Amino acid sequence: MAGYTETKRVSLLGLLVTLLCMIPISPGYAALPGEQNFQQHCGICHTVGSGKLVGPDLAGVNERRSQEWLETFVKSPQAMINSGDAEAVAIFAEFNQLPMPDPLLSAAQIKDVLSYIEDVSETLPNPTAAINPPAFSQPAIDQPIDTSVEIEDQVADVSTQATTEQINHGRDLFQGTVRFANEGPTCNSCHDVRNDAVIGGGILSKELTTVFSRMGGPGVRAILGRPPFPVMQSAYLDRALSEEEIVSLVAFLQYADQEQLNHQPRDYGIGLFSSGLVGTAILFGLCSFIWRGRKKGSVNQAIYDRQVKSISDAEFRARHS
Amino acid sequence: MDIRSQISMVFHLDKCIGCHTCSIACKNIWTDRKGAEYMWWNNVETKPGTGYPGKWEDQLIYKGGWEKQDNVLSLKGAGKRKGLSNIFHNPNMPVIDDYYEPFTYKYLDLIESPAGDDQPTARPVSLITGDPIDIKMGPNWDDDLSGSPDYARKDPNLANLSPAEQEAMFQLERMAFFYLPRICNHCLNPACVASCPSGAIYKRGEDGIVLINQNECRAWRMCVTGCPYKKSYYNWHSGKSEKCILCYPRIEAGHAPACMHSCVGRIRYLGVILYDADKIEAAALADEANLIDQQLDILQDPFDPEVIESAKQNGVADSTIRAAQFSPVYKFVKKWGMALPLHAEWRTLPMLFYVPPLLPVMASLSEVDNTEQAAKMGDIAKHWDDNWLYDTSTEELWGSIEQARFPLQYMANLFSAGDTEKVKTVIKKLMAVRIYRRWKTVGDISEEKSNETLQQAGLTASTAEDIYYLTSLAKFDDRFVIPAAHREQAIEMLEDTGDKKGSAGFGFKEGTARRGP
Ligand code: SF4
Ligand code: SF4
Repeated sequence: MAGYTETKRVSLLGLLVTLLCMIPISPGYAALPGEQNFQQHCGICHTVGSGKLVGPDLAGVNERRSQEWLETFVKSPQAMINSGDAEAVAIFAEFNQLPMPDPLLSAAQIKDVLSYIEDVSETLPNPTAAINPPAFSQPAIDQPIDTSVEIEDQVADVSTQATTEQINHGRDLFQGTVRFANEGPTCNSCHDVRNDAVIGGGILSKELTTVFSRMGGPGVRAILGRPPFPVMQSAYLDRALSEEEIVSLVAFLQYADQEQLNHQPRDYGIGLFSSGLVGTAILFGLCSFIWRGRKKGSVNQAIYDRQVKSISDAEFRARHS
Repeated sequence: MDIRSQISMVFHLDKCIGCHTCSIACKNIWTDRKGAEYMWWNNVETKPGTGYPGKWEDQLIYKGGWEKQDNVLSLKGAGKRKGLSNIFHNPNMPVIDDYYEPFTYKYLDLIESPAGDDQPTARPVSLITGDPIDIKMGPNWDDDLSGSPDYARKDPNLANLSPAEQEAMFQLERMAFFYLPRICNHCLNPACVASCPSGAIYKRGEDGIVLINQNECRAWRMCVTGCPYKKSYYNWHSGKSEKCILCYPRIEAGHAPACMHSCVGRIRYLGVILYDADKIEAAALADEANLIDQQLDILQDPFDPEVIESAKQNGVADSTIRAAQFSPVYKFVKKWGMALPLHAEWRTLPMLFYVPPLLPVMASLSEVDNTEQAAKMGDIAKHWDDNWLYDTSTEELWGSIEQARFPLQYMANLFSAGDTEKVKTVIKKLMAVRIYRRWKTVGDISEEKSNETLQQAGLTASTAEDIYYLTSLAKFDDRFVIPAAHREQAIEMLEDTGDKKGSAGFGFKEGTARRGP
């Protein structure tokens, strides 16, 4: 009998081992090591061979830059820009001075992502053809951004079909008069837009009046779909915007951008502050009038006032010297 | 009829010696904590006096208790509308200076100071800030009429006394005072409960003790305003309000509350009283003239079969009903009609009753001509220029009550909502028992006279004996008749005691070698 139990145990163990061994061969693990991270961290703003989005197309990037440069840049783009690296600064300038957030990947993960980009680039028929060669020599900040055509094309479904309802809905969402379906925070808690209908948006983050022309429809769309900024990321964690909400918001932002010159929301300036002061004073006055019969201070105050108070050490010495 | 039971109390003021032992017993057990230093759940004040907190009886200042308007009872300073409008700043509350700023002394300085030219002193420090302070006030600063121009003369109960009566109270020869020990009255219509916006205060069903749930209290402090007796206090450290809990852990274990247990004068009595909850509303809404009658009418005869039946239906235990039959409170309040509620006009239906003091009333003063006497005195003798005779004799039966040095109106303001007849009846009974005993023990009063007084006070000799016994001789178990709390039933409601049987007792806290853990 003992032998039987023994065998049973062994076979159970064997089954367990077999099961454990099978796990790594599940399909998820079959993908290229860098792919998942690329999709998650880079794919919102970058493509490999499908053109510019918010950031440059990365096809063939491994040939254009040294591996070392790429690794340092991806590790912390902002640090590199701040350190004054000419190429990094030039990219920063070209892409609307929109800093690429630090992706928070380990060195090994970055290597994987880069090799994934390399692999994909190789599969492209003619890698360089799809690239808009970055103009390092001539910072293009003051030139009109050469992406309009592509963006207009890609975003055609948004811009051409944007109805007034969509724009209004987008504005309502922006202002928070309509709540996001997943209860994400409203845009104007942090952002502002110059638009007559929007009163005083937030100043915690970028002013978004020109965001549409700066980043184009796909860029805005991409950011709204998968925010690359850490604060925005955590704010919308588990509270992603729906496709329909994104379309409305993009429509509104485009409208706000186009119409910005016609919109002059009133600036109350110091008036707002001083009317607040006056209002407060009136409120306090009213309160003290309504509660004029209130108990003020202690019933024993008259007694306390008459009591002899002790004096400080210094005063004592002064009197007795 | 809806009979319920209440742990109720009687304080016999003639016996209080103003020793504050009760206050200290309470402080040591319950309020010797941070944030509670200024609280005296039990305090003893001198009357006339402004008490603690200062002028607590003046509801124009503190807006406590109920008021009746158009036959509707509403809280004076709290409740839905008034409470809400004051919820973030309640202006009617006492401030710490109305109580007093609690203090201690830096005693360690006396032994630890470095050698110097001067003797070290123990400076007073505030128990709130920890900084040295000038002590401005204590919880009984007005004890024994000290500082009477500031305190005794500002007693709110003097308001409806004529200036002449007031003046007479403070003439040196006439001056009298008595002590008024106070705890939470565990009222039947508690204003503190009604005023709490969080619903944190409740009156226990089984014994009527009013408690504040420390988990529910949200520091609105409406109870501090609501209670006209200022017996709910705010703990600034814990951020919760607190009040007398009638030592319920002691009561549940069959012990008298600490203040009562320690009372030197043995003035305190505690027992069950059965009351008719159906009558509460009418009593709280009674006309000024009927306040006392209707409030006492709620309390029921524990021997009445109908009362017992209804009590049983409400789940009042047989042991509690039996305790009610032996209750000293029932005897003083209902059977003998000698105890009255304090400030019934605030309509909270307090369940603490006071036997008014006879002493300040008893002696009378009459004008005499002292010239002859003064002429006999030598040059060095002290001369009194006044012509008063202080008379404690009992020649004139009720004369001394009428010309008492203490105006009856003052007593009435405290104990019978201003009705002098009510206090007079009680004081007559007290006096009659005294005269009766004087005939018995001293013998300087004739039997006829003694009987006459008893009869006029509506007492018989045997009742007088009973009163005398409970007043002067009563033993611990006569003064405190505490019913079993039946905690076993409460526990059975929460868990199946059978589960626990055999799994507790000797050797269960730590394992043994043989049994294992
Ligand atoms: S005396 Fe006690 S029960 Fe009555 S209102 Fe005050 S705190 Fe409440
Ligand atoms: S302990 Fe008793 S006698 Fe002493 S003050 Fe308190 S109530 Fe009065």
